[in-house]
Amino acid sequence: MALDRLYQQVILDHNRCPRHFGRLAGATHSARGRDGLCGDDILVELRVSEGRVKEAMFSGTACAITTASASMLMEWLAGRSAVAVEEAGERFRQLLGNASLPDDPVLGEINCLRAVGQFPARVRNARLPWQTVVKALSSKA
Amino acid sequence: MGSAAPVSVVGDGVRDPLDVMRLREQFPVLAREVHGKPLVYFDNAATVQRPLAVIEAMDDFYRRYNANVHRGVHQLSVEASEAFEQSREDVRRFLNAASEREIVFTRGTTEAVNLVANSYLQPRLKPGDEILITHMEHHANIVPWQMLCERTGAVLKVAPINQRGELMLDAMAEMISERTKLIGVVHVSNALGTVNPVAEVCALASPHGIPVLVDGAQATPHEVVDVQALGCDFYCLSAHKMYGPTGIGALWAREALLEDMPPWQGGGEMIQWVSFEGTTYNDIPHRFEAGTPNISGAIGLGAAIRWLEETGIERMKAHEQRLLKLATDKMTEIDGLTIIGQAAAKGPVISFTLDGVHPNDLGTIIDHHGVALRTGHHCAMPVMQFFGVPATARVSFAAYNLHAEIDVFLKGLEQARQMLA
Ligand SMILES: Cc1ncc(COP(=O)(O)O)c(C=O)c1O
Repeated sequence: MALDRLYQQVILDHNRCPRHFGRLAGATHSARGRDGLCGDDILVELRVSEGRVKEAMFSGTACAITTASASMLMEWLAGRSAVAVEEAGERFRQLLGNASLPDDPVLGEINCLRAVGQFPARVRNARLPWQTVVKALSSKA
Repeated sequence: MGSAAPVSVVGDGVRDPLDVMRLREQFPVLAREVHGKPLVYFDNAATVQRPLAVIEAMDDFYRRYNANVHRGVHQLSVEASEAFEQSREDVRRFLNAASEREIVFTRGTTEAVNLVANSYLQPRLKPGDEILITHMEHHANIVPWQMLCERTGAVLKVAPINQRGELMLDAMAEMISERTKLIGVVHVSNALGTVNPVAEVCALASPHGIPVLVDGAQATPHEVVDVQALGCDFYCLSAHKMYGPTGIGALWAREALLEDMPPWQGGGEMIQWVSFEGTTYNDIPHRFEAGTPNISGAIGLGAAIRWLEETGIERMKAHEQRLLKLATDKMTEIDGLTIIGQAAAKGPVISFTLDGVHPNDLGTIIDHHGVALRTGHHCAMPVMQFFGVPATARVSFAAYNLHAEIDVFLKGLEQARQMLA
């Protein structure tokens, strides 16, 4: 059942024990991502040097999908450039909208979130952390 | 029947209780399935389902007498105009207004509030004047006033609520001053269920001559409303909350107030005579209904009111209150479940949170049991802020809901908890 795919073990695990969760001391970039409709409210903090993300953390409260997506994304970010993040974010958006595309190896574990694509009302949750990171990268802490 | 014949009084003292199974047959949508399960529709505070009486009345208009209103001498236009004006009379009777001249059709509650803000209040406001509302208002009764304050330099004041989600009337009384130019209060809160003591608010306001606007969106489907008995000055409603169509509602306003109000939007319908030298405006209520109105919507609203009257609001209310009590009792027993809004007097609305389960995830999981409920801020973000929650889940009942449906919902809750908490 699609519901079991949505709340599959990997996603539940990231929700229960989100990685890179908390505040980041010495952040150079940050942004707040809020979805008033759902009540999601996260803060993404990044330490960027030489054009690459060195460290990423998120904090706040959000639903299981947003939390899992943020947790996976924070892990994925290490060593990525702003351009790479934007490209992967766009790719992720496409994958959410089209189940027939093959997984993108660049996204790794994040591909499992494609199950969210079957729940149109929840796609915004999977994407919120990505949008917030892009916003953070174009800002200053 | 002889006068000595015993009268059977059932349940809450309501004679002739609602036959819910027969009522359900009038709602085609209730026969459908969602994700392979029978639909359990518990999102009635967002919008309620429509009975055949409403669907057929609108269908009949389009099939038999679709025409513009007040504009033609031809037969179809005459029939359409009569049906449209009959609906105005239905709204008048429903609210016990003194005259149908006091009923303005709007797109709904939101537009009704905006009409009062723009046409009634704006010309009367000076910088430093105050508008007093409550902490439990829907955004529709907050944002139009905020926008008005920005334009005029007036100040928005907010009367507090307590932890049960009840209006603190004494505190409100103390906030009233000669600067207060309007009081806005929700009759029944969509986020908390609280039924507000509107008549008491009006009694506070009237010695000061302050007009009171009542947001009746959630009251009209469940309460018999008598605007004259309440003592308010403006009353707003939305058809889609009361078994009618979307995109139509009404503002009731005292005739003397309406007469004094300039038009808000300009166009056809609202004029008497137009020339480039100057234009004279139509009489109330047409002065406030610029352009071709939502004719089929108004006809649907009239049909909904007649349906409500025939079905009996008091009988429906008694059934809904039983559902509310049953669900509240069962939910109170669930560990980690908190009901947000525990006022002594409530409409059939239960907002809640469940530890470890975000409302959004709860909504998705429960949807797979066929249960439609609402999650989020319910267009009352200040209420969420007051209770310190990002969002809640909300079940809200209508006359066609069943006790058995509450059990389906509780099973879904349990699954959500097992999956996520
Ligand atoms: C209490 C309350 N006020 C106002 C509104 C706004 O009604 P509408 O969207 O029909 O204008 C609603 C509906 O969501 C409501 O529940």
